[in-house]
Amino acid sequence: MYKARHAWMFLAPAGVLLATFSLIPALAALVLSFTNYNVFQPVEWVGLDNFIKAFHDKKFWSALGNTFYYWILVTPALVVLPVFIAILVNQKLMGIKLYRLVYYFPALVSVVVTAILWNWMFASDGIFNYIISLININPINWLTSKEFVMVSLALVTVWQGLGYYMLFYLAGLQSVPTDLYEAAELDGAGIWQKHFFITFPMLRPVIFFITVMSTMSAFKEFTLMLAMTEGGPIGASTTVVYLVFEKAFKQLDMGYASAISFLLFIIILILTLINKKALDRTY
Amino acid sequence: MRKMKFISILLASLCLLFVAACSNAGGSKKNVELKFWTISLSPTFDDYINGLVDQFEAENEGVTVIWEDIPFDTVEQRVLTAAASNQLADVLNLNTDYLKKLAAVGAVADLTEKAADVKSDFFEGVWEAGNLGDKTYALPWYLSTGGMLYNKELLKKAGFDHPPATDEEAWEMSEVLYEKLGVYGNTPSNIHLYLPQNGIPLVSEDLKSAAINTPEAVAVFKEFKERFDKGLIPRELLLGQAKANEWYAQEKIAWWGTGPQLFRQVNDLSPEVYKKSDAAPSIVGSSGFNHIAIMNIAVSAKSKAPKEALAFAKFVTNAESQLAFSKIVAILPSVKEAAADEYFTQGENSDDPSEKGRFYAAAQLERAKDMFAPVENISEINKAVNDEFHRVLLENKDPQKAIEDAEARINELLDTE
Repeated sequence: MYKARHAWMFLAPAGVLLATFSLIPALAALVLSFTNYNVFQPVEWVGLDNFIKAFHDKKFWSALGNTFYYWILVTPALVVLPVFIAILVNQKLMGIKLYRLVYYFPALVSVVVTAILWNWMFASDGIFNYIISLININPINWLTSKEFVMVSLALVTVWQGLGYYMLFYLAGLQSVPTDLYEAAELDGAGIWQKHFFITFPMLRPVIFFITVMSTMSAFKEFTLMLAMTEGGPIGASTTVVYLVFEKAFKQLDMGYASAISFLLFIIILILTLINKKALDRTY
Repeated sequence: MRKMKFISILLASLCLLFVAACSNAGGSKKNVELKFWTISLSPTFDDYINGLVDQFEAENEGVTVIWEDIPFDTVEQRVLTAAASNQLADVLNLNTDYLKKLAAVGAVADLTEKAADVKSDFFEGVWEAGNLGDKTYALPWYLSTGGMLYNKELLKKAGFDHPPATDEEAWEMSEVLYEKLGVYGNTPSNIHLYLPQNGIPLVSEDLKSAAINTPEAVAVFKEFKERFDKGLIPRELLLGQAKANEWYAQEKIAWWGTGPQLFRQVNDLSPEVYKKSDAAPSIVGSSGFNHIAIMNIAVSAKSKAPKEALAFAKFVTNAESQLAFSKIVAILPSVKEAAADEYFTQGENSDDPSEKGRFYAAAQLERAKDMFAPVENISEINKAVNDEFHRVLLENKDPQKAIEDAEARINELLDTE
């Protein structure tokens, strides 16, 4: 007979791992954010000094602005575009599994390889500038100008994330009852009406999930910036997490870096709650 | 009877244990294990480093050295995570700016008195690389004064039969190269070195305030802005998003100013371009000195075997060890005795640019010194100056304002030390 303790036993290993590698380090970082910890010297309590420093730090606000901008570029694209790709690859056609693999493939490529590949494509004499030169557009400084750097990085993220989020939508589409589409067809609904009134509402929980996941990923993005631009030019692609990395590992200011991390946590939490309020309704 | 027998055996065992413990305490030598970290030397120099380790262990009975090589871009994280878990190496290879950061937080041992006996063995300008303020925290190891690898064919096509010898000549040639061939000549990426090399220090001599706000610094920024607007300075190299060795191998740049030990990278990337190349002395700034890139050897402040660690540090950096290292790669020793070896007078007429480059680099050793001010936040100071320089070039910021903002930031960083 099923007992609660059986459930706890099955949950315990994952719980222990989660606590050890996520919860406890997060709590430790929270405590460190109230200190001047730098690994080598004795820890001193500084109270709210690190948080006050962040509020007066131009680099923090610049990084926060860059992060929000990146989020606005990336998340809507990763919420909307994969739906259409999932609808396309949900057809019963010969070779459709190959298409699913092709769309998913970028998600399998490591970030560093992705960075090298796209650096070549974005180079001043790279393929993108070659293509636009064919239609008489001047070369664009994709990664070396403030105006284009975040757009370029967002493009890379969207390219890599499309296939990954497509899978979630694909799984969601499999659970949409086909008789709903049949009934809609009998009522004379066209293809767009079917998707607008059936597919999208039925995918609402998946949309909520992907919005939250892509928001969290966008706010935590760091590796791409490190590999492609090192936060430049002149801090134009420095995100909050990149700033945390610089403060912690380059400047040995672990206490301040922890404070910034905690502020980021609060921002992500607020956005997740807003998402939940707006999108998460169960039928 | 049985009880008596048991008690006797127990007493005898206890006595044996007691005697063994006493003899261990006063008798045989304790084994000492040293951890030694280097930066990006494996696998190329495995034989050399392992040879050093074996030799030291043979000469110091009871000492075992465990060598680990760390990739360059993960050094900072490894040092921090190791320090946090008390696993930091006893002897560490560190670059100059990170060394100063670690010295400021007390992570590496003060060697001012402990290494005073070997100080005179090293070049004076080089010894200062291990300083923070007036204290010494590391011994200089291998170094490079820089050189120039140039593409003879590209220069010939542009109408030149020799590489540039001065900065002014280099910019004149860069303009011709860009107009005629669409390739670049000078590719500046380190204004924080260019300024002190040309007599404009970033920090005052007493290390208490910024020294950058001078008409000369403003003039330098203006000149570079003019060159950038003419298209002579490629953005990707300026911002460090492209690698100069790759651009040189692709014949996008006509010369590459770097240490001769790196010339062979071009041979790996493009043997054809390497064959078209030759070496020349690096362009010296108007101060008469060039920056010297130094790798250092430090001892952890929390080493459990500080005496042995210091002895190993001195062994790795001594004349004999450094000379042997210099003979397998085109780096230079930081020790005067090793640098005086006739090996460094050879190579002037070599067909191999690396060997020729090493000859020129050795010849410039007396005119080389560490241009980094011995302050804790030198990395952030260099970054602040570079950021303001980039703002002038990329965002049309007024050079005077940029210099003033750089000065303010440097003063802020010096105040926090």
